[in-house]
Amino acid sequence: MPGKNSIVIRLVLVITFSSAVIFAVTLGYNYYQSRVILQNELESNARNLAMSLVNRVETQLTAVTKVTEGLARSMEISELTEQQFHSLLRATVEKNPEIYGSFFAFEPYAFSAKSRLYAPYYYREKGKIAFDRLENSYIDYPYPYWDWYQIPRELGKLEWSEPYFDEGAGNILMSTCSMPFYKEIDGKKQLQGIVGADVSLDALTEYISSVKILRTGYAALLTRNGTILAHPLKDAIMNETFFSIAEERQDPFLRELGRKMIRGETGFVHYKSLVGFTSWMYYTPIPSTGWTLAVLFPESELLENVRKLSMTMAAMGFGGILLLTLAVIYIARTIIKPLQLLTAATDEIASGNFEVMLPAVRSNDEVGVLTHDFQAMQASLKEYIKNLTETTAAKERIQSELKVATNIQASLLPRIFPPFPDHPEFEIYASMVPAKEVGGDFYDFFFIDEKNLCFLIADVSDKGVPAALYMMVAKTLLKTEGQRLGEPAKMLASVNRILAADNDTCMFTTVFCAILDVTTGEVRFANAGHNPPLIIDSHGARYLTPKSGLMLGAMTETVFTTERLTLEQEGTLFLYTDGVTEAKNPEDALYGEERLLKALQTAPQGDLANMIHYISSEVVHHAGGAPQSDDITMLAIKMKTNNVSMEVAGKGA
Amino acid sequence: MDLQTKIENNAIIVTISGRLDAVTASDYEKKIRELIDGGNSYFVVDFEQLDYISSAGLRVLLLMAKLLKEKSGQVCFANVKGNVQSVFDMSGFTSLFKMENSVAEALAVLS
Repeated sequence: MPGKNSIVIRLVLVITFSSAVIFAVTLGYNYYQSRVILQNELESNARNLAMSLVNRVETQLTAVTKVTEGLARSMEISELTEQQFHSLLRATVEKNPEIYGSFFAFEPYAFSAKSRLYAPYYYREKGKIAFDRLENSYIDYPYPYWDWYQIPRELGKLEWSEPYFDEGAGNILMSTCSMPFYKEIDGKKQLQGIVGADVSLDALTEYISSVKILRTGYAALLTRNGTILAHPLKDAIMNETFFSIAEERQDPFLRELGRKMIRGETGFVHYKSLVGFTSWMYYTPIPSTGWTLAVLFPESELLENVRKLSMTMAAMGFGGILLLTLAVIYIARTIIKPLQLLTAATDEIASGNFEVMLPAVRSNDEVGVLTHDFQAMQASLKEYIKNLTETTAAKERIQSELKVATNIQASLLPRIFPPFPDHPEFEIYASMVPAKEVGGDFYDFFFIDEKNLCFLIADVSDKGVPAALYMMVAKTLLKTEGQRLGEPAKMLASVNRILAADNDTCMFTTVFCAILDVTTGEVRFANAGHNPPLIIDSHGARYLTPKSGLMLGAMTETVFTTERLTLEQEGTLFLYTDGVTEAKNPEDALYGEERLLKALQTAPQGDLANMIHYISSEVVHHAGGAPQSDDITMLAIKMKTNNVSMEVAGKGA
Repeated sequence: MDLQTKIENNAIIVTISGRLDAVTASDYEKKIRELIDGGNSYFVVDFEQLDYISSAGLRVLLLMAKLLKEKSGQVCFANVKGNVQSVFDMSGFTSLFKMENSVAEALAVLS
């Protein structure tokens, strides 16, 4: 079975991973872009919401401002009697439900030279209009020292006071809108006092607090000083300022934000709200009072839909990737299945079983083509193995036959030395090393009568089986004709006639043939185109120069000449074939006749076997590993020094 | 062995170079047989560039002479010298073939 690196697993991993990455990037980008779009829309929504709230507050406050301005103008324009402005105040409170109370607070001695302070005050109490005198209410701390009096007096214009709890007036949160009024005396405007209207802020803050943005978002109101007027944190209302909270939380960002608010700036910020969740906040001032209105959008709720959408998309994507993975597994399996079958089959083939059935080709795809190719390969392998087996068998048969032929050929040559143990008067030794399994060289020696030993060496043209067959014929003929004729020239002429007749292939053999009279050492010899032999005696080693006759088998009528020499005692005749002199070394240099002559001069003379082995080793040494190209054959014959030979010879004679 | 032929005075001049031995003799035989079967009867073999000849080489030369004899043709050797000359001497070829010292002389002999 395939391991961890199988194509299926790799395909699944790569495709799943790639699509997961692509999907994650797409989803991430989509989420990010949705956020950006949402944020852009949010800013304008927040502005609209804030502005509508501001307008609503502003409308209420403006109405009060207008009333206050109207009171001041009435005091300035009309010479109202005490009775008249009392009823004006009372009517103002009665007709304006948003106004909690209203007053005229005169400058010291401005109303009457008799009494220093005079401030009539009409207000609501338990659904009715009540009357009081402020100069009596504020005994310890007279009214001209209060902010609602001091600030408009000094600034000379309408002012809203900081909101405050009026404990005396039913413990309600209120703010006072107050403005100075003047009287023209001697063409000069002279301050007469401050007219004011108290407004309950409970309705306002309740309204602001009731604003719900999304689920937990809210609207908040801060005074000019940053005091919290309306906020979901009920405990903080009128007790904390934006700055005190910033200080408590060690939050410089909050402090900076507070500064911007009290400077009357407008802004849109992303921050962690006082309630503790990350949100977007839009803040803007309320123009008439300088208060700040803020609306907060909790981020998590804002992004809830985006997040839900993203989660849905993620779930769908996950499902899609799962489906894709299954599809990939299915496709990969479909591709891999035939491959696995093919692999199993080729494993069988690899282990040597060529009979295994390859899976059927079902499609024209790559696997189909591969299977088809494997089928073709299997068929040609089978064919090849079959042929190889046959060829090898045939070759082995030929080899074994050739081996038998080698043995037969070797057994045809005299191989037992000494061959004539009862003839100590001479010594003879020979060797033949074929270049191939069978050779064309041969030697022979045999007695033609009691004292005449015929010995010869021959080389058939070419090598191998044709030469070996020709050699058999030549050797047989030479022996029979030798024994019949007893004369070298006649022998060669007779054998030549037989060989040359019907010699279509023009095979031929060179022969050096000699007959030794073992009693006298006289040698009669004739040469049929063979290499000249050497003689080694008391005059040293040298080449003979026999008359050159044509080799046997070339021309029907060839005449040979018998020559004579006498081999002295301890004299040696050395016969060889061109396999010796034409042995090549790797540089193609021939061993040559010169080297042979020198080798024979230095060769051990005592024993012919030693001498021939020495020449053999010299030739092998010269060849230096180059392959033997021709049969190497040598024959040596030597007359021995001893009287025994003469006695034997005498007996023989 | 390299073998080249050209025709001059109705005779084929065969120039052989390199070695004529058991390995190359069959190539020579094949070529010569083709030429003789093609009707050529007069040959000059130029041995100028032949370095070595073995008994197998001698055999194909003999075969060539024999084939030509059947067709009443002739062959003459030119530039036989050195190593090749001594092999020819030793094997008795010298007495069997016509030999001249140059291709021109060999051509003259054939005509």
